[in-house]
Amino acid sequence: MLLGTGALGLLPGAGRAQELTVEAVLRDPDAPVMGNPNGDVTIVEYFDYQCPFCKRMHPTLKDVVKDDGNVRLILKDWPIFGAPSVRASQLALGAVSLDAYEEVTDALMATQAKLSNADVELAVGSVLKIDDAMEAYRADRAKWDGLLERNDHQAVSLGFRGTPAFAIEKTLYSGALDRATLEEAIRKARAAS
Amino acid sequence: MMRRFLLAALTAVVFVGASAASAQVPSQPLPADEAFALTVTSESGAVTLSWEIEEGYYLYRDYIAATTADGTELAIQTPDGELKDDPNFGVVEVYHDALSIQMVPTGSDILLTWQGCMEDSICYPPQTRQISFEKGVGPTLPDTGSGTSMSPVQLAAPAPAAVDGTEGLKLANEPGLLDGLSARGGAALVVAGFFGLGLLLALTPCVFPMFPIVAGLVMGQRQPPSLRQGMTLSAAYVLAMAVAFAGLGVGAAWSGQNLQVALQSPVAISVAATIFVLLALSMFGLFNLQMPRFVANRLERIERRRGSIGGAALLGFTSALVVGPCVTAPLAGALLYIAQTGDVVLGALALFALGLGQGVPLLLIGAFGPRILPRSGAWMEATKWVFGVLFLGFAIWLAGRILPGPATLALWSALLIGVGAILAQMPRDVKAGQLGVALGAIVLFAGTLQGVGSAVGGKDPLRPLAPLATGASQSVAQPEGDGFATVFTAAEFEAALTDAGGSTMAYVTADWCTTCRSIERGPLSDPEVRAAMSELSLVKVDVTDFGPDSQILLDMLGAAGPPTMVFFDESVSEAPGSRIVGDTESEDMLRSLRMVSQ
Repeated sequence: MLLGTGALGLLPGAGRAQELTVEAVLRDPDAPVMGNPNGDVTIVEYFDYQCPFCKRMHPTLKDVVKDDGNVRLILKDWPIFGAPSVRASQLALGAVSLDAYEEVTDALMATQAKLSNADVELAVGSVLKIDDAMEAYRADRAKWDGLLERNDHQAVSLGFRGTPAFAIEKTLYSGALDRATLEEAIRKARAAS
Repeated sequence: MMRRFLLAALTAVVFVGASAASAQVPSQPLPADEAFALTVTSESGAVTLSWEIEEGYYLYRDYIAATTADGTELAIQTPDGELKDDPNFGVVEVYHDALSIQMVPTGSDILLTWQGCMEDSICYPPQTRQISFEKGVGPTLPDTGSGTSMSPVQLAAPAPAAVDGTEGLKLANEPGLLDGLSARGGAALVVAGFFGLGLLLALTPCVFPMFPIVAGLVMGQRQPPSLRQGMTLSAAYVLAMAVAFAGLGVGAAWSGQNLQVALQSPVAISVAATIFVLLALSMFGLFNLQMPRFVANRLERIERRRGSIGGAALLGFTSALVVGPCVTAPLAGALLYIAQTGDVVLGALALFALGLGQGVPLLLIGAFGPRILPRSGAWMEATKWVFGVLFLGFAIWLAGRILPGPATLALWSALLIGVGAILAQMPRDVKAGQLGVALGAIVLFAGTLQGVGSAVGGKDPLRPLAPLATGASQSVAQPEGDGFATVFTAAEFEAALTDAGGSTMAYVTADWCTTCRSIERGPLSDPEVRAAMSELSLVKVDVTDFGPDSQILLDMLGAAGPPTMVFFDESVSEAPGSRIVGDTESEDMLRSLRMVSQ
């Protein structure tokens, strides 16, 4: 009956087997998309919900994406700060099917840097019921665990040294970016395409 | 491998392009090993870990941790850090410039983990390094390979393990039984203590299967053995068993594994089952497991005295390793002690004493068993026959660990029906014969039940008709199944722990673990225990198909094998004193459950 959890967990190999392609980085079918889903430029951010610089630049990033209006924004969870980060990612991904992903992400990004499991639940709980998010995550567990596995594999393979790190179309950026750099990067990506 | 190099090279090109293209891009973060350069020095017994932290980088105090190779948390004293308090950061303690920590060497390798960030830019994944302590040489950091600049793949490779292994899971680091005894009274007390523990264990289900083996061994001789022969044979058996236990200790030191658990492989089980089939056939008189005639003639006098001491020793060795794979608290304690201290001699001695202690009742059976039963005649033949059947039973019981349930039931059915048929044909004109016929009918019926059980897909010989009883409503046949999530690999276990979010009970078990079955029929079926367990997340760590994944799981939990129960509180720390190893009772389980449910 509960063997299901075990069997699904056997899937991590599947994530690893993925080829690292531009398509896989920019257009992972399982990764939730924010901003303009039909935008001509894609920003992929590898991040952790406890990483202070990810959080500090998050409002700027959202603002730039909104102002531009033609950018696909994909936040790829790369939990490097232990169990609370993993839990935050699981709850946020669970919120996708409840149409609350962006809200949950913003709530988590607005917290202080270091989080306990209780802090994570407090933040997510301000948007929806924890149990609902967890249940939704579990319902699609194979999909989400596969995505997390692929994110980790991509970040490592791309040579990123930590969070935040960005792929803005085909150019990679390591570390937090300020508004001007972001806008310049988007302009370049658009010119190149 | 080649692909990775190519990828890394390609990435480097893109990065260069990126930073050349935009002057505003912050300088590239240093590789973690350059940003936080670790040196390890040793002086007068103390080890100093020093990080040189590049300007503009910092380390987190909370993320510095050290564990032993098997994941046991080590206490380390870190100095107060600088308080960083900022709406974006929260209050965290960090170190700039340099950090130096003293620690007492553990005598074995440690895994050191740390994590830091580049100011205003990037946070690194946890960095984990193994530090080896060799006698007289001092601590060494393993060569990371290609000089100081790590390839990107190496950089984050340890991250997943570190994230979950050291952050997610804290085992209670308690002094083991052996440490305690050793500290109090030295080696002599350890050996005496483990002998005593062996005596206590001698009357548990772990040793029961060995009683009929030894009985069969001494009774199955061509001549009824004398007191001395009986003693000698059973002594050989017990000595070999104790040697096998000691061997487990040496094996653990050499391979880091509990070989007893590793030996639950199909090959080892098949070999042991075959030995028992051969023994049974020998009992039935199909052939004699004795030396060839020409050797026997020459050595007849010695032969008569010694019986088959070699055979007894072989059986003793096999029994300890394969027949009764019972992980008991003292056994697990001694194995872990060896793994942690590397003291093979004391650990092996303790295990040897444990084996001897467990063997005492076997010696008694060997010495007095033959006294109790009549000496010769038809009785003797009947006894041999009975033990032949018993040995066949053992072979099936062992094979049941690797065969599908219905196949095992079919074998039981065949054995029981065969025995029943023979009993039913006993002459009815004597009392014993009538008794035999009656018994035969019962055995025939039991055999039929097993046969029916096999046909309907039953798995448990003790409940052959379970599939019929549960009917079509539920496919869950095992009551112990409900509530438990079953995991087979470390990744699944970590996922289950993260999932749990509250207190968790991890139960290490395996299909071939007989003690686990008695736990599942006993305390785990107790309504009071079930009620207390319902407040926890339950994870079953299944090591039935023992492989490298299973070993990693056992190492993570600091467990020697099944059955072991580990209780974690909400912060995924093991509650000190709550761990249960080996057979257990409801009271013990309730006590441990209470320790984490508050």
